[in-house]
Amino acid sequence: MPEGTGALREVLPKQGTGGEHRPALPAQPAARSRPFSPFAGQLSVEDTVAMVLCKPKILPLKSVSLEKLEKLQRAALEAAQPPEAAPPPSAGAAPPRQ
Amino acid sequence: IQAAWSLKTRALTEMVYVDEIDMDQEGIAEMILDENAVAQVARPGTSLKLPGTSQGGGPSPAVRPVTQSGRPITGFVRPSTQGGRPSTMEQAIRTPRTALTTRPITSASGGYIRPGTASMLTNPDGPFINLSRLNLTKYAQKPKLAKALFEYIFHHENDIKNALDLAALATEHAQFKDWWWKVQIGKCYYRLGLYREAEKQFKSALKQQDMVDTFLYLAKVYLRLDQPVTALNLFKQGLERFPGEVTLICGIARIYEEMNNISSAAEYYKDVLKQDNTHVEAIACIGSNHFYSDQPEIALRFYRRLLQMGVYNCQLFNNLGLCCFYAQQYDMTLSSFERALFLAENEEETADVWYNLGHVAVGIGDLNLAYQCFKLSLVNNNDYAEAYNNLAVLEMRKGHTEQAGALLQTASSLAPHMYEPHFNIAILSEKVGDLQRSYTAAQKSEEAFPGHVDTQQLLKQLKEHFAML
Repeated sequence: MPEGTGALREVLPKQGTGGEHRPALPAQPAARSRPFSPFAGQLSVEDTVAMVLCKPKILPLKSVSLEKLEKLQRAALEAAQPPEAAPPPSAGAAPPRQ
Repeated sequence: IQAAWSLKTRALTEMVYVDEIDMDQEGIAEMILDENAVAQVARPGTSLKLPGTSQGGGPSPAVRPVTQSGRPITGFVRPSTQGGRPSTMEQAIRTPRTALTTRPITSASGGYIRPGTASMLTNPDGPFINLSRLNLTKYAQKPKLAKALFEYIFHHENDIKNALDLAALATEHAQFKDWWWKVQIGKCYYRLGLYREAEKQFKSALKQQDMVDTFLYLAKVYLRLDQPVTALNLFKQGLERFPGEVTLICGIARIYEEMNNISSAAEYYKDVLKQDNTHVEAIACIGSNHFYSDQPEIALRFYRRLLQMGVYNCQLFNNLGLCCFYAQQYDMTLSSFERALFLAENEEETADVWYNLGHVAVGIGDLNLAYQCFKLSLVNNNDYAEAYNNLAVLEMRKGHTEQAGALLQTASSLAPHMYEPHFNIAILSEKVGDLQRSYTAAQKSEEAFPGHVDTQQLLKQLKEHFAML
């Protein structure tokens, strides 16, 4: 089959399938319609190039180690910020005890 | 009191313990200044650095999204999943390396400092064990305490030198007959970058006592030395000693995946499942392979299995939603995506889910909804190249050529490894009449995906046109 008009050909019925149906309908000689010829009347085929979309993304699942690592990193980041707030209150708390 | 001390040490270590077999963050310095390479250019199929030779087949970039190194997106991500070995410094800096942020870590020691601050977390008043005052020789003589202490120093404090000293003393004390200490020394050498010495230690440990873990560590060394074939042979050897061992089979599958040999990887993942049918990584990888091989119903079965096993996170529901939609089970699609949005832990995950929802919208023909979804995706993650590209396609349909062009420029600069933005720029420029720009863009698209028929046709057309001038 020629490749050029591939899209068009797949949708329309092939001429050969008429033959398979004949054994099932033996008593209908003249009433059958002419085989459908898809290319009578077709003038030209144009293959316009369309833009492509990026594909849907299956998200990779994370391993247990990776999740634990992320948790630790997040905790470390958070611990890095409060220590600026923590020392002043503790420095303020120490002297009054004396 | 020794028992209590030992218990506390082990508890503190356990808090921050991440399986060393998985931990493998390679910094930029290691990648670029690699002195372990034997040959300048590796033969195809023998190196992890050249993924381009896709021997094993599998879906092409026309169907399956591709990461920065040119490898297709995998179904499962671990701490050691390579973003790819970049060929230029610029690409190296761009590659996201850490789990959370997209800024790369510049060298391996930088990444490990963060786990080391764990000691700050557990003991705000100061470290539990003061390493500089420790008498390592004394502890080396007491094997049980020494082992707990070593693990503490290695994982919690991240002080490899002291750990190595302790391990060396302990090995001497055990007269080099204890395989455990050899493995620990090997781990220290690995962290310090002395891979050949690590290899020696692991091999000697293996001679004494066959242990699955030792095989895994040794394979890690070979992978770091960029010798995947040696690692594969090692795994096969290990399988002779430990037939049916899931971690070894999984290791083989991972190497094949890294070498872009998807069909072999799929085979080995199936073997893993024969042995252990709850193995999350294998199920996820096979599921994603089926999805991109145009079999979403089978992929759906795999992801449903994961749901059965109790995996409950954003990525799984996103994947379920996608598989349901493409398998034409429209009742489950939107509720899965809703659940995914609810479970998203950060903005990047939300952006991913909105991006996929945009695809669903395109599929049902609701272009307004698609437009909004892609915009939402960009709101959550400003660097989402795929969303820019798809928005550009939608704008083109509406006829807004300049906006489409601007969006495509952003997409192509954010993700030069993807062929879609380049190809779309080529088409856009050709329509507008800017043939020079079209030609350069088409060339970039061909570089990213040499097998794309439309790109080649476009290039042929343009060449004929230029020849006529």
